[in-house]
Amino acid sequence: MNILLQLLLILFLAKIFAEIIERAGFPGILGEMAAGIFLGMLWINPDDDILSFFSMLGAIFLLFIVGYKEINLQEVKASIKIALIPTLCSVIVPFSFGFLLGKAFNLEFIECLFIGVAFSPTSIGVSVRTLIDLDYLSKKIGSTMLSSAILDDIIGIFMFSVLISIATYHHIPTSMQLMIIGGKFVIFLIIMIILGWKVFPVLFTYIHKMQVKESIFAFVFMIAIFSAYLAEVFSLHAVIGAFIGGACLSSIPFAKIEDVQNKVSGISYGIFVPIFFAYIGLSIDLSAIQGAGLFALLVIVLALSSKLIGGFIGTKIAGFNSYDSLIFGVGMMPRAGVELVFISAGRGLGIIGDEIFSAIVLMIVVSVIVSPALLKLVIEYKERSVST
Amino acid sequence: MTIDYSKLSVAEIMTKDVMSVGENTTIVDLLKLFRKYHYHSYPVISQTGELVGIISEDIVLEILMFNQMPAYEHTLLSVIRSCSDVAGGIMTTHPVTVSQDASLSETADLMLKHHVHRVYVVDKGKLVGILSKRDIVNEICKRRE
Repeated sequence: MNILLQLLLILFLAKIFAEIIERAGFPGILGEMAAGIFLGMLWINPDDDILSFFSMLGAIFLLFIVGYKEINLQEVKASIKIALIPTLCSVIVPFSFGFLLGKAFNLEFIECLFIGVAFSPTSIGVSVRTLIDLDYLSKKIGSTMLSSAILDDIIGIFMFSVLISIATYHHIPTSMQLMIIGGKFVIFLIIMIILGWKVFPVLFTYIHKMQVKESIFAFVFMIAIFSAYLAEVFSLHAVIGAFIGGACLSSIPFAKIEDVQNKVSGISYGIFVPIFFAYIGLSIDLSAIQGAGLFALLVIVLALSSKLIGGFIGTKIAGFNSYDSLIFGVGMMPRAGVELVFISAGRGLGIIGDEIFSAIVLMIVVSVIVSPALLKLVIEYKERSVST
Repeated sequence: MTIDYSKLSVAEIMTKDVMSVGENTTIVDLLKLFRKYHYHSYPVISQTGELVGIISEDIVLEILMFNQMPAYEHTLLSVIRSCSDVAGGIMTTHPVTVSQDASLSETADLMLKHHVHRVYVVDKGKLVGILSKRDIVNEICKRRE
């Protein structure tokens, strides 16, 4: 099929399906993935190079925007104070469950690590609507969940970057190789910090005076691509570079002009990101899910229960009562955007096969459908118990 | 006679008497200000007198309508803002600033090219004035007369 027609169909169906799903009260990414599954069942070949390239840009800009628009250093500092212990527990327990699940199925060490990392992040956005409706967002447990979500993203991205570096060795790295991995990561970080602190701010004072059209937007776009590329040079994944590149621009006034932010959001959420999610749908092998059977079921059960258990333990240690700890655990169960970037990258690098990829996608879908309803149930349960 | 706007500095036409708010100004007080005056935004000043952010009508509207907005609008940043009750927690940080000696033509070019409605004029980080598109238009009209 002609690539222009493919792009047109993917974008059109992704937007229409996402609209229907949003109106039904679920996150739009489910609709975008459903559009991909639908097209895959019909005729589009998921291995098309051009679609794959657009999908890669989608993953890059999804994480670039997290760094560029959503992460604020002051909030990260505040989050560490509020939510460090609950967050660590809600990362360590799912990671352990994922790793042990891989071991139980005799998967390779790197696959076990990958499942652990894929179990670790959280997408709080899915829980927000329920928290608003039940007036829990402004309560202490609600704000702890928000703080935890900020830290969770950062810890998840760090774990993913270590995993990708380890994966390049195809075996358990020696201590020397681990030092090389750590060294590369540190050098990359130092370069990006210097660029973000000293070079980019000066650069943008000249860029905004350029006579050519859309100079600031073009340079913000270029920095996303540059930081993604530089990460690959240091054997990290492009999406990690994009995230750090975005964070480097997050405090530069000229790079954050409202109009520029709108354009970056527009091209990302309007075009690249829907293609990325639809491409995930296109890549799902429905027969692999059927074949995965018990493994897929355990991925779903363990991924969700481990977040619940980890979150519960962490918040209990932090001094919350059992009801609030339960609410926290359930609220941290959903996974969405960042996790999909991880598993897409893992599949692209050959770390995981179709079976694991499809099982984790299924887990993500189940988590975003089930979690809000469960959260509502536990909040109502708390309210009933407290009032009697 | 043509006027050379590159020789006119921002300091000559900016509004010097700026109404600002502090980081601890409550949202209730901010709403009162928006009701009482017709300014589109208020600069937020730290205790040391430095410009640290902006509260715009957009932000206030976002906070007021948060519960009714579709789920896709609930980004981490907007959720965190909605939980705050003071200006410091909801403001947009890192506003676009210019120095007092920046030329009018250069500043107008910046505002037109990048759709910036107003710039904040600072001297060593401290707010000394605001320049809006309306100020520039008024000044040019005055000089043409």
